[in-house]
Amino acid sequence: METFVQSLVSGVLMGALYAMIGIGLTVIFGVMRIINLAHGEMVMVGMFGAFWSQTLWGLDPFLSILLWAPVMFVGGMLLYRFLLRKIIPGGELNTLLYTAGLSLLVANLALLAWTGDYRTITLAYTQAPMRPLGIAVPGALAIGFGVAVVVTVALWLFLGRTDMGRAIRATSQNPEAAVLMGVDVERVAVVAFGLGTALAGAAGVLLAPSLYLYPTVGELLIVKSFVIVVLGGLGSVPGAIAGGLLLGVAESLGAVYVSSTYKDGIGYVIFLLVLLYRPSGLFGVGKR
Amino acid sequence: MRKLAFPMWTLLLGAALALPARAQTLKIGAPQPMTGPDAPFGDKFKKTYSMAIEEINAAGGVNGRKLEVVIEDHMAKNALAATVAEKLITQEKVLVLTGGRASGQAMEIASIAQRLKTPYLVDHPSADMITTKGFEWVFRNNPTGSIYPSAFNAFITESPGAMPRSAAVVYDNTLFGKTIATAAMKFLRSKNVPIVADEAYPVNTLDFKPIMTKVKGTNPDFFLMVAVATTDAILLTRHAKEMGIAPRAFVGFGGGFGVADFASQLGPLAQNVFSSAAWSGNPNDPRTKAFYDKFHAKYGIWPHEHEVEGYAAIYILADAFKRAKLTGNLEADRDEVRKALAATDMTTVFGKVKFASWTGPTGDPFTNQNIYSPEHSVLAQWRDGQLLNVWPKAVAETTLVFPDPSTAKK
Amino acid sequence: MSRRARILAGTAGALALAALPLVVKNTFFLHVCILVFMWTVLGAAWNVLGGFAGQVSFGHAALFAIGSYATIILFLKAGIAPWWGIPLGGVAAAGLSVPIGLLCFRLRGPYFSLATLAVAELARLVALNWEWLTNGPIGFLITTLPPLQILGYSVDWESKLPFYALAAFLMMAALLSTAWLRQSRLGAFLAAIREDEDAAEAVGIDTVRSKVVTLALSGFLAGLGGGFYAFYFRYVDPDAVLSIGLSMEMVFIAMVGGLGTVGGPLIGAVFLTTVGEAVRERFQVGHLVFYGLFMMLVIRFLPEGIWGRVLRLLARVQARVQRHGAA
Repeated sequence: METFVQSLVSGVLMGALYAMIGIGLTVIFGVMRIINLAHGEMVMVGMFGAFWSQTLWGLDPFLSILLWAPVMFVGGMLLYRFLLRKIIPGGELNTLLYTAGLSLLVANLALLAWTGDYRTITLAYTQAPMRPLGIAVPGALAIGFGVAVVVTVALWLFLGRTDMGRAIRATSQNPEAAVLMGVDVERVAVVAFGLGTALAGAAGVLLAPSLYLYPTVGELLIVKSFVIVVLGGLGSVPGAIAGGLLLGVAESLGAVYVSSTYKDGIGYVIFLLVLLYRPSGLFGVGKR
Repeated sequence: MRKLAFPMWTLLLGAALALPARAQTLKIGAPQPMTGPDAPFGDKFKKTYSMAIEEINAAGGVNGRKLEVVIEDHMAKNALAATVAEKLITQEKVLVLTGGRASGQAMEIASIAQRLKTPYLVDHPSADMITTKGFEWVFRNNPTGSIYPSAFNAFITESPGAMPRSAAVVYDNTLFGKTIATAAMKFLRSKNVPIVADEAYPVNTLDFKPIMTKVKGTNPDFFLMVAVATTDAILLTRHAKEMGIAPRAFVGFGGGFGVADFASQLGPLAQNVFSSAAWSGNPNDPRTKAFYDKFHAKYGIWPHEHEVEGYAAIYILADAFKRAKLTGNLEADRDEVRKALAATDMTTVFGKVKFASWTGPTGDPFTNQNIYSPEHSVLAQWRDGQLLNVWPKAVAETTLVFPDPSTAKK
Repeated sequence: MSRRARILAGTAGALALAALPLVVKNTFFLHVCILVFMWTVLGAAWNVLGGFAGQVSFGHAALFAIGSYATIILFLKAGIAPWWGIPLGGVAAAGLSVPIGLLCFRLRGPYFSLATLAVAELARLVALNWEWLTNGPIGFLITTLPPLQILGYSVDWESKLPFYALAAFLMMAALLSTAWLRQSRLGAFLAAIREDEDAAEAVGIDTVRSKVVTLALSGFLAGLGGGFYAFYFRYVDPDAVLSIGLSMEMVFIAMVGGLGTVGGPLIGAVFLTTVGEAVRERFQVGHLVFYGLFMMLVIRFLPEGIWGRVLRLLARVQARVQRHGAA
């Protein structure tokens, strides 16, 4: 029983961080209908940002989210404006391949700049895990979880209560109607891409103390993020949250009760099953 | 299409014209990963080869001729390793090959070396297969994956009370990880030690907690971890301890458990963890100490396994060159070097070297594998941020701590 | 290009191919040629599905791997010589591509692409762990090739010639089948599907069947390439034949060369091999930076690929000539 609870807890904690990566991706897709294969690299950049700000300036990684989220937001907007905008009219597949190229480029530039040496972030205050009720809860992961929850709530409020947030949701639901209602769709796209990138970077910052960093980690994360957003329904933020938690728990339980070698495979199998039998995702937002 | 072949032509023509000028040096070819994720390792070998070459050439070279190492980047891809090995043999006309780094690439290089009749001295790759296929042109100085656990095996057999009552083994699903885990488990089973967990994980697993949860449930007496990647080693240990696994001993196999980062990243969590590797370096040996100091003085970093292996390889080759009757005919010279290598009997910084055919722990017959390999395997332990040899006693720097006091059952 | 010009070019090309190894004895150069030929086959395989049918697959390495493993396992375990094993590998890949296709073709566009990625990764996990079949991470190594007699001559496996000949043959086969596809009825169906799948369905084209047959052809070619890889490089392990990098290289070759053209994959393969090498040596930069950058540049500025652009320019020149001729 203890094993089960432990598994569940680990899965939920990890799942929340996965969810944050997924939310960023789903926002971008919802508004612009583009599948950003370079999203994993955005997370990686966030991770390295946290690492370098700690190594060079002694900035605590969790605090550094206040620095990196805005930086990545601006970065995302610039990326969209100067690199992506002209490609999108070329069609879905062109954009897909383009972002695939971008992902290769960013990951390998990082490899060049920071070498393939793996890095870890150690925090003095999280060396030993907390043990509420005998369940091991690693400190860094718990804090990351907490911050992720705060960020998600903030996002929820943003989307629900602010004008820009509403504009994003409107464009997501129906771009033509949004234009008719006076929404500056182009501006929304830029903001949405910035937002998605910022969320990815933030997720990276929060993940960094719990995992380790290497430039090609994006490869691993991108597949997981797609499983999550497809599971939850492309474009749906609550879907991404649910998808993230589900994937985290499924992987955790799967590794313990099924097989650790095929642990990653669980994600892929879920992915394929969802794509085949419920392509609109758990929250049924729909493909188009 | 023809137009694009032109640059290739000029490159090759240029290379062909440039060749005669270098005929006097003794060329050693070394495919290494110089770009891509394995680049840090390629860099280590580049540094250590340079140091060895400089020393030998400064002392007058070998029989008056200077040594030269030609490094080619294979980017950790098998097909590329085959391509550059061929290039080194046919274009650069090297006398011998060394290097390779990872076993997959080494397999390709060995295959080509055997077919193109060029000696290949393996310095680091550890897949048993490289020297169990009967390739008479391939020689290996370092221990194979199945030989790695030798010191550990000796420890649990010879040290009273050290035989595990049960063992959990977690290893990465690579050639390296699998070979070592299989060899270790085979030995344990032969001593009737129950294996309570046998978990393979994919390299670069981000999260070991689910595996550790499973292992904790089995309550192992000894916990064996195998990791090629340093970060896997660090995370394995960290997550194992975080999840509360409490064996009498944590034993790590693989380079990742022996680097300084392991201790600096884990802090107190690294205390008393055993590390079994191909070579832990005995600082009591003056030769080793001299190498350490010199490398550090020259490059500013402390050398480890890779650097020593590369350095020793150059010296072994130099020794072979010295004894070989070289006439200037490339095919004949390569064969002479092969014969000279087969007759090697010397000591390097890495240890004693003598190549022969014998049967290894897997039961497969080796060809040209260093017979002293089992002695090279050493068991070390992390104590207060330092890795100290503890077994065999002959090379021990301190007395070992066992059982692990942090996990002692009350 | 007119049909006559095409046949002339093709024959000239074939003759040059045959003459090359007799003129150039440099074994390394021949090795590079062999690589180019092999990559052309792989690029053509991807092009059939991606360029002609418009279905972007990120998992083609799986089909390549089926061919590799089939060929090497048939040889090492059943003693079937690689020259039978390679076509059998192609058939195996084509065969297994059918259920993969039936599964993935239910999805459209990017969803299909993501599904292929998942399938390839699952294939890699299986290859890594199903040791009974694939020997896990240890892989398979061919140490000696069986003796072969052709026209009374004993084939020397240490020479590049037999591999060159086989690789050139496979490349011609790949290019010819692509050419055939283009002017066949199936090719017309695929063009329709590529433009608008729903409209094609509405007009009565059996889109699922067309796509599955195309995937089978694509799989066959990829499997041939994989079998050749096993035969020439003699060592197959999961990392070598099932990496995402390999799938991306196939995409790269087809894209940079020219999607939907016949000669595109050859141009792409030459580009990859020569310029890639040069960039690596000159800039010491990982060649993947080059790939990523180039893919972005090509999509942005040259979406029809190098060869596609060349063909378009040639067509324009031809049109101008004709107009002047008429006037």
